[in-house]
Amino acid sequence: MHERSLVQNLLKQVRQIVEAQGGGRVSEICVQAGDLSGVEPLLFAAAFEEMVVDVFSVECRLKLDLVPVTAVCTHCQHEFEVLDFQFHCPECGSGTVDVIQGDDLQLISVTLETIDSREGVSS
Amino acid sequence: MSRQTIIVKRDLQADQKADAEAERKRLGHRGTLVVNLLSSPGSGKTSLLEATARQFAGRRSMAVLVGDLETDRDAQRLAPLVPVAQLTTGGACHLELPLVQRGLTALGDPAVDFLFIENVGNLVCPASHDLAEHLRVVLLSTTEGDDKPGKYPKMFRTSQSMLITKLDLLPHVPFSVEAVTADAQRIQPALKVIPCCSLAGSGIQEWCDFLEEQHQLQLAAYHEPADNC
Repeated sequence: MHERSLVQNLLKQVRQIVEAQGGGRVSEICVQAGDLSGVEPLLFAAAFEEMVVDVFSVECRLKLDLVPVTAVCTHCQHEFEVLDFQFHCPECGSGTVDVIQGDDLQLISVTLETIDSREGVSS
Repeated sequence: MSRQTIIVKRDLQADQKADAEAERKRLGHRGTLVVNLLSSPGSGKTSLLEATARQFAGRRSMAVLVGDLETDRDAQRLAPLVPVAQLTTGGACHLELPLVQRGLTALGDPAVDFLFIENVGNLVCPASHDLAEHLRVVLLSTTEGDDKPGKYPKMFRTSQSMLITKLDLLPHVPFSVEAVTADAQRIQPALKVIPCCSLAGSGIQEWCDFLEEQHQLQLAAYHEPADNC
């Protein structure tokens, strides 16, 4: 998809989180990309590396996990991993299944390093 | 120095999805079914809209927002038939909701029965953008080959209907309606498949009947009786 604009959006949202926390140095951003999210992991990581330095420090790492597509059958409630984009339930054969994971790009967590207030006073 | 991990677990497109949901609700409430038409360039989206406008003439009201990188050629074709606004993306390969809303405003936000969005010709990026549509329809022409659904799974997974266009060319091209239907329904088992030819008119009645049915079905949810209170 549009990895650069996705990364831009990610960094904007992380910055808002950091501001809400009262600041700090971001050391890691953890993201999950579903197989059906349309995100190309290599391009996303490359865009992140290039763009992160404008917002946070170079030491800010990206942890990008790929998530397989998981669906649940609305007939027999069987939960299964969707392989090769085959969306029929492997248990009962029904085609009425809901995707419950793997169709979006999620910001999972942000790791912040902050100077301890006591440390700040003593130094 | 202390380390703190803040758990977020949030869809990065959550805000855009919420905006699209609000717009879908607004248009649904006032009786407008929004139909997002997607396909490769040259699959026949504009021809389908011309045929649809002729079929609905005098019975159903419709308006069209048409997206292209450059020129207003599609809008010029449709203008004699229906209210139409051209959305020129200036190079962007898909439409996004703010552009659609601007086009709708340019048209005077008409309370039509059907608002068609003719997306930019592209089977990849438009699949990831919710334009507040109630119905997503992918067009696949017989000249493109019957192996496309498996190559572009997200597009076919997120669509509710597939129109097989340029059916009149079937005798001249290696294309199997059965094979493409099976491939697409492997990805989206509920996909409604309608083979048609906009120029000769075959399948257009079935397409318009499907639109009428969807108008009734999908918009019924917005007209449920209010709470007793």
